[in-house]
Amino acid sequence: MPFKKTPQKFSAAIKAVEIGTGDKKTVLGGEGVMPLYSFDGPIENAPKVGVEIVDTGLEGEAKGIQEFYAGCTTPAEMAAKAATMEGADFIALRLESADPNGANASVEDCVATAKAVSEATDLPLVIMGCKNNEKDAQLFDKCSEALAGKNILVLAAKEENYKGVAAAAGLAYNQKIGTESAVDINLAKQLNVLVTQMGVKGENVIMNPGTAAAGYGFEYVVSTLERIRLAALGQDDTTLQMPVITPVASETWGVKESMASEEDMPEWGSRDDRGVDMEVATAVAVLAAGSNAVILRHPQSVATVSKLVKELI
Amino acid sequence: MAKFIVIGERISVTAPSINKAFAERDPEPILTRAKQQLDAGATYLDVNIGPAEKDGVDVMKWAVQLLQGEFDNVPLALDTANMAAIEAGISVYNRAKGKPIVNSADAAGRIGYIDLAGANDAICIALCNGEGIAKDNDERMTYLQTLLERGMMAGMEAEDIWFDPLFLVTKGMQDKQMDILEFIKMISDSGLNSTGGLSNNSNGMPKHIRPIMDSAMVAMAMMQGMTSAIVNPNDLRLMETIKSCDVIKNNTLYADSYLEL
Amino acid sequence: MALKGIDIFKMSPKKNCKECGVPTCMAFSMKVAQGAMKIEQCPYMGADVIAKLSEATAPPMKTIQVGDLKLGGETVLYRHEKTFVSKTLYAVCVSDASDVDAVLADAQKVDYERIGEREYVEMIFVTYAGNKDAYVEAAKKAAAIGREVILDVEDADVAEAALAAIADKKPVLNGATEANVDAFNALATKYGVVMGVKAEGLDALYDLTAKIEGMGNKNLILNVCDTSIKEAFAEAVQIRRASLKNTDRTFGYPTIVNVAKLAAGDQAMQTALASLFTMKYGSVVVMETMTYAQALPLYGLRQNIFTDPQKPMKVEPKVYPINGSDENSICCVTVDFALTYFVVSGELERSGVPINMLITDAGGYSVLTAWAAGKLSASTIAKSVNECLADQKNKTLILPGKVAVLKGEIQEKLPDWNIVIGPREAVELVQFLKEYK
Repeated sequence: MPFKKTPQKFSAAIKAVEIGTGDKKTVLGGEGVMPLYSFDGPIENAPKVGVEIVDTGLEGEAKGIQEFYAGCTTPAEMAAKAATMEGADFIALRLESADPNGANASVEDCVATAKAVSEATDLPLVIMGCKNNEKDAQLFDKCSEALAGKNILVLAAKEENYKGVAAAAGLAYNQKIGTESAVDINLAKQLNVLVTQMGVKGENVIMNPGTAAAGYGFEYVVSTLERIRLAALGQDDTTLQMPVITPVASETWGVKESMASEEDMPEWGSRDDRGVDMEVATAVAVLAAGSNAVILRHPQSVATVSKLVKELI
Repeated sequence: MAKFIVIGERISVTAPSINKAFAERDPEPILTRAKQQLDAGATYLDVNIGPAEKDGVDVMKWAVQLLQGEFDNVPLALDTANMAAIEAGISVYNRAKGKPIVNSADAAGRIGYIDLAGANDAICIALCNGEGIAKDNDERMTYLQTLLERGMMAGMEAEDIWFDPLFLVTKGMQDKQMDILEFIKMISDSGLNSTGGLSNNSNGMPKHIRPIMDSAMVAMAMMQGMTSAIVNPNDLRLMETIKSCDVIKNNTLYADSYLEL
Repeated sequence: MALKGIDIFKMSPKKNCKECGVPTCMAFSMKVAQGAMKIEQCPYMGADVIAKLSEATAPPMKTIQVGDLKLGGETVLYRHEKTFVSKTLYAVCVSDASDVDAVLADAQKVDYERIGEREYVEMIFVTYAGNKDAYVEAAKKAAAIGREVILDVEDADVAEAALAAIADKKPVLNGATEANVDAFNALATKYGVVMGVKAEGLDALYDLTAKIEGMGNKNLILNVCDTSIKEAFAEAVQIRRASLKNTDRTFGYPTIVNVAKLAAGDQAMQTALASLFTMKYGSVVVMETMTYAQALPLYGLRQNIFTDPQKPMKVEPKVYPINGSDENSICCVTVDFALTYFVVSGELERSGVPINMLITDAGGYSVLTAWAAGKLSASTIAKSVNECLADQKNKTLILPGKVAVLKGEIQEKLPDWNIVIGPREAVELVQFLKEYK
């Protein structure tokens, strides 16, 4: 008896959400199969890889990242350079300087940075905040206004600030909005419900249900992503059919495996290698669990993950 | 597990306004009730045109096209004693949102409805009943097997036969209620689907009692593995109970707004 | 998965002859499914149906034992459904054409403990490059370092020589193909070893596996494609899905994924692939190297994916010095839940402040859960402070903000300590310590 292939077909599909404009615009989602299962059915929009730029500079970054951006003095220059990275599909600008507990840069300064970055590259732009809910809501509002028509993604609306973010970025300026929860599947669903109830179309929402570095409670991340995908496709749960984006770099570059200096941990070897392997292993694992896009920092990570995606799809 | 399937029962000739609307081919009352039921969370709509001996074929075609045209091919249960009318309805039915349901067969005079469903690749509601009310669950199980075998012979998938245990009125047959619930478990344990006119249990009770009784019954029936029911989706308490049970059974992911979905 | 009554009914003769004592075939089928009757009680049931039914009660995926290591035996496709039972094993590749001593020495460098688990390269994959004597030598050296060995060779003569040389080691004989299957099956049987099966494409692999099963050998591992990443992934998923979802037992075996060959010379890509196949259904992942840079994320990922959700992951309760702390440094206390430990210790390290991190035995629960369960209380904290921090000169103890309510009681039990309420969340620790100084 020959082997009987039984493709896993679903009548539902993940929504296809476009970010950016012009030739370089890109689409996340759209598939009706489990993650990367191109043998079950077509995946027209392969997972995307974004490059993260932090507006507070390169201090403390791994050597390979610093060398890549050598000579760049502003986020805009970094963005232009990042756009040349092999495999880069979009740019993610993290406005870390806005943090009231840090540099506390003004909203106006941050908007100027965002505008300069947007002008420096034609790749789609993701604007990330400083993890301060109030400040982020202001940032997203003003950046959405300043970059009207650019079809940016603001990352992200959270339980604490979704009303402002959805009203400004989503409704007033018609940008794409992210919904962010921290590995809590019920809240992930609830946030999607809340922003769509406010009038934001499901086709304008991308979700970030949270992540961790591999080894750091990552099993919760895997199960959250897998259950979201199974509910979206298997139960046709329209409130979970938004594509998923995962900011990987900000998690993986903060763990000791990626941060420890070579003097402190001589047996662990090169810090660049450690950082890249942690970033790559985590990114591939979230893609396998159901993410449609990852945000990375190291040029080698970006090249490796995008190459793997091309091999698979 | 899939979500519990609610078949809205309110488009029925037993309602005088609907009866009149069918007779006069007046869309408005039918569309109004359809919209109310869909907004409230019904998946399927039952279309009961009564015996319809004379113009059943025309009425059913008209109703199917009317409802599917207006509501994005809403899936329908075709409910009439006129078999030709059901076939006519299926002939104009769009399956994009789900197969048509033939309502209904039993193990006696209406066993031919199974063949009708099989021949038309439809779902069939199969009443586990012969002549008169079954005396116990052994008898119900015999009817179930008869219907199932008939369906297999007609080329149906077992999952397309939705067995109806026949809900009995509590006022009068209170001592039989647990039998029905146990029978639902037997259906579920056999890996089969079930449905039924659940609100029959509260027939004859005061109006304010019925939603309470129906909610309790649906919760217990879902616990036993019931997969669908033919009910009034505009009974808010009942629908809230069904949604809550779907969450508890892990048929749908919880979110704080789950009742609004 | 047990057969349902309806599945048995489909295979039944549907004669309703009543000879079994039940009025209909449907009723009989249901009783068989419930275990109330035996399938043999039907005089007309075919032998193939009876065989299929008895097979249906066997587990869908076999557990294959290699030395002390277990492969396969999985029952679910997603970890939230139940739990994965056999973690992905990592192998390093060596061949008779490589510097065997150097590769083996490198492969042994990674060896450390992570939350009670030894992390090391469990297997050596010895692949044949054309020199028989050198291959046998390589096999011997691989067998001598205390790891399980996979002999990757398709030449029966070379295979027998290597098998004979390390017979006691019971290596995996990887390389049964359509061309050599008779000889290899005889070898695997003679030496009592697990056999790896190789074929091009799922159909051929399926046919060959069925053929070997027909020869009576069910002690197998299946090789997925080693020339195309896309095919390798498609095969790994479909093999596992066929066995667990469609209960097709011919594919109910563990798999080997040769990442070393799929991405030769590209370390980052091998890490990416090892991550992919740890997530999706590789039982053995073969790599060119296993450096610390690769091991740290991969073993962490593997430990997470294959953790038993019923058992909390715990770290050992004791004092962990951070940033070169000593008895003059401040102290903090938290629970032994592994995730808490990792997150808190990471933040403490990031702060750069020398601090003694005291982990108390809280049953592996998080702070609030442990507190609610009575496993993190003033007495347990006071007790472990007295036991573990007796020599402290700096008697400042930072308490998790979530159990601030315990402060008074702890202060009573530890009168010479200065109890300080810390932040509620670990992410606030860096800021907190910066300001505290």
